[in-house]
Amino acid sequence: MNQKTDITLQIQRYDPDHNRQWVQRYDLQAGPIQRFVDLFRKINDEQDSTLAWNSSCEHGQCGTCAVIINGVPLLACELLVENAVTRFKTTTFTIKPLNIAPVVRDLVIDIERAYQRVEKVKPYLIKPAEPSSGAEVGQITPEELGYYVNATRCINCFCCASACISNRANFLGPNAMLATIVRLMDPREEEKQSRFKMIYSAQGVARCHSSMACSFVCPKQIDVGHFIALAKQGRFARRTK
Amino acid sequence: MRCAAEILEKKPDTRVVALTKVAHAQKSHTSTAQGGLSAVDPSDPEDLPVYHMFDTWKGSDCTADQHVVKKICEMAWEQLLWLEHRGMHFSRNPKGGFAKRTFGGHTVRFGEDSAFRAVFEADRTGKGIMDTGWGESLKRGVTILNQTLAIELLFVDNQCAGCLVFKQKEGEFVRILAKATVITAGGCGQVFKVTTNCRQNTGDYLSLALQAGLPVMNPEAVQFHPTGIVGPGILASETLRSVGGILRNRGLEPFMEKYAPKMKELAPRDLVARAIESEIREERGAFNPDHQIEHVWIDLRHLPASVHENDIPEVSGFFKKYMNLDPIDSLCPVRPSVHYHMGGIPTSEFGEVENSRQEIIPGLYAGGESAAASFHGFNRLGTNSLLELLVMGKVIGERVLEYLPQSPSQLKDARETLTTSKFSGYLDARGKGSTGHIRESLRSLMTRHAGVFRTDEGLRQALAQIRELKGAAENVTLTTRSLKMNQELVQRWELDNLLDVALVMCESALNRKESRGAHFRTDYTERKDEYNYHTLISMKAFGATELGKREVNMSLFEEGGQHQEKFGLIQRKY
Repeated sequence: MNQKTDITLQIQRYDPDHNRQWVQRYDLQAGPIQRFVDLFRKINDEQDSTLAWNSSCEHGQCGTCAVIINGVPLLACELLVENAVTRFKTTTFTIKPLNIAPVVRDLVIDIERAYQRVEKVKPYLIKPAEPSSGAEVGQITPEELGYYVNATRCINCFCCASACISNRANFLGPNAMLATIVRLMDPREEEKQSRFKMIYSAQGVARCHSSMACSFVCPKQIDVGHFIALAKQGRFARRTK
Repeated sequence: MRCAAEILEKKPDTRVVALTKVAHAQKSHTSTAQGGLSAVDPSDPEDLPVYHMFDTWKGSDCTADQHVVKKICEMAWEQLLWLEHRGMHFSRNPKGGFAKRTFGGHTVRFGEDSAFRAVFEADRTGKGIMDTGWGESLKRGVTILNQTLAIELLFVDNQCAGCLVFKQKEGEFVRILAKATVITAGGCGQVFKVTTNCRQNTGDYLSLALQAGLPVMNPEAVQFHPTGIVGPGILASETLRSVGGILRNRGLEPFMEKYAPKMKELAPRDLVARAIESEIREERGAFNPDHQIEHVWIDLRHLPASVHENDIPEVSGFFKKYMNLDPIDSLCPVRPSVHYHMGGIPTSEFGEVENSRQEIIPGLYAGGESAAASFHGFNRLGTNSLLELLVMGKVIGERVLEYLPQSPSQLKDARETLTTSKFSGYLDARGKGSTGHIRESLRSLMTRHAGVFRTDEGLRQALAQIRELKGAAENVTLTTRSLKMNQELVQRWELDNLLDVALVMCESALNRKESRGAHFRTDYTERKDEYNYHTLISMKAFGATELGKREVNMSLFEEGGQHQEKFGLIQRKY
């Protein structure tokens, strides 16, 4: 099982101290069950300790390691080299940082800047509804929850925002939309008005071109475009109710 | 985050600054917890908090502190409602209330029957808690410093006055002066080669405490999950074994019947972990050349397709995604994976940090996996970690609010003593060796000698090698010279922390000549009453350790009452 593949990584580098940007080529051998995060680590340990990149959980739960590989925003911890070879039909891979915030160094971006868009839509209950009399727990049936539960799975990896074809200067982005759509669908949120205002503002869903790129790249397989389409139609609750 | 939210809810004008080492608070390691959160529902006619207390005590192998166990189990339900009322998306039952599931070691009527006590948010309960805690703190105006390292605790007259931090993005050292400082920094699984822990869990907080002259409690108490996926170390849940998965060695022999003839694959976690490691030690393990790891196989090929599709889709997905193996026609490689540290910074039942003489350090608190109060003793039950961090967050928040008015005002006198020279030392070193290689040698030797099985000889070897690696680390030359997002520099600092943690783990494990919970000595296989205490270990300079003891609190036993005999020194048998 110990077959090795010769691969080439063309990694976009950025040195903030000299404000210098270049593409660096790394040739390395990859074995089976190696992921791109393992390759980055291998480069650090064997070839170039200066290459900066980010990761945390390394099993697709935190979204820290999102990068653009051959044009597709994805999580580097989830992409096995052999799968990448099959998917992109090449052994040369171009790796760039996500394009949603300024680069700090190499593949590390200023994720706080990107998060400001999510924080702007208030990713929490602004005004929690009182549970109905006597009940400790707000009653939400599995059917009601099922209507929006997929939207709650978002980990803010910003792959969707990176793939989105809308102008980032105007649009808050698909994951920020998702964060507020969740609360518009959550029966425990009483403050809907300011959320409507935000979602139908000039930075809201009207900016979406329905390319569905967000749904296509989402590592959690959330149909982001579907939720944005529901928001465009104002369908925040199940029709059957 | 729960603690920050508590403080800001009760006293909105408080200035709360939260540091996180990861890229963003939402990406903290809590987010990766899957299973659930245990809390006894007061309206459940079957379940009582005392049953939960018993399960926790038994699971801990009689080393949890009973006043802490009582407090956390009794506050569980109210704190669960805190999450619900702030918008966590719990899975629901058909009537609209919480869905519940059973979990290993959680029982009713003192072991008679399984308890339906764990609420959950699908397989992402930790993410739900993290999102809710982050959202609430954000709503109430917390200041969060992401990718920021706490590198030295500051003191004025033996009271904690904040800490010196290093902001990675800016490459700046900043002194944060605080009336109260709370350490909730996660675990230290990266000390070992195979771990379910995230890359940032390098035990920095333990080093921080040791450097401040404070002790660490029970560092030898490390939990191994029996089936981590080889390579990434990701958890392959116990469900695989409960649906009929068979563990096999290199010769494909099903070996569990040798170790647990009746329970086989369904034996408790620590027993299965020991069986797997025995096979590997006796050279019946398979070997993965890419990750240089020995392992065994879990065989799921005989299970019907319906089981693969309906009962184990998530875990099957992990094997497909990370190993390109479809469990329906392939053997899957697994190895015990370091999962949780029961040990930590010793605290009172209110999360106040204690020194070696068990005096409280004013202004310093610790909670979650970083702390040992201790709720888990020498072995943690599934779902109890999320419960502990939630309740202790609230408890510490309350305690901080009581302390703030009486805290000292001379904060600005606080000065760091060692850190600046330490960091310039890293940048000035000119020698051979790479941080990555030394780190990987350390992690391999810890897995070999301080893992599931420990012996006098192995631990002594490990200690000698750790000292050698410390020497080698001092020569490492860093190529990136700037301070801005200098990951080499951060990893060099982490390496020192890993070495500190490895050393106190091995020293404590060497000293504990018995087996208790997750700590197993092949040369002393039984639990002994003479070791019925918490280890305290401090370290003045690298290698200069000092061992001490803290009594196990047995207040539930001492208070007597109806169920007294359940809280004595009982046998841990399932």
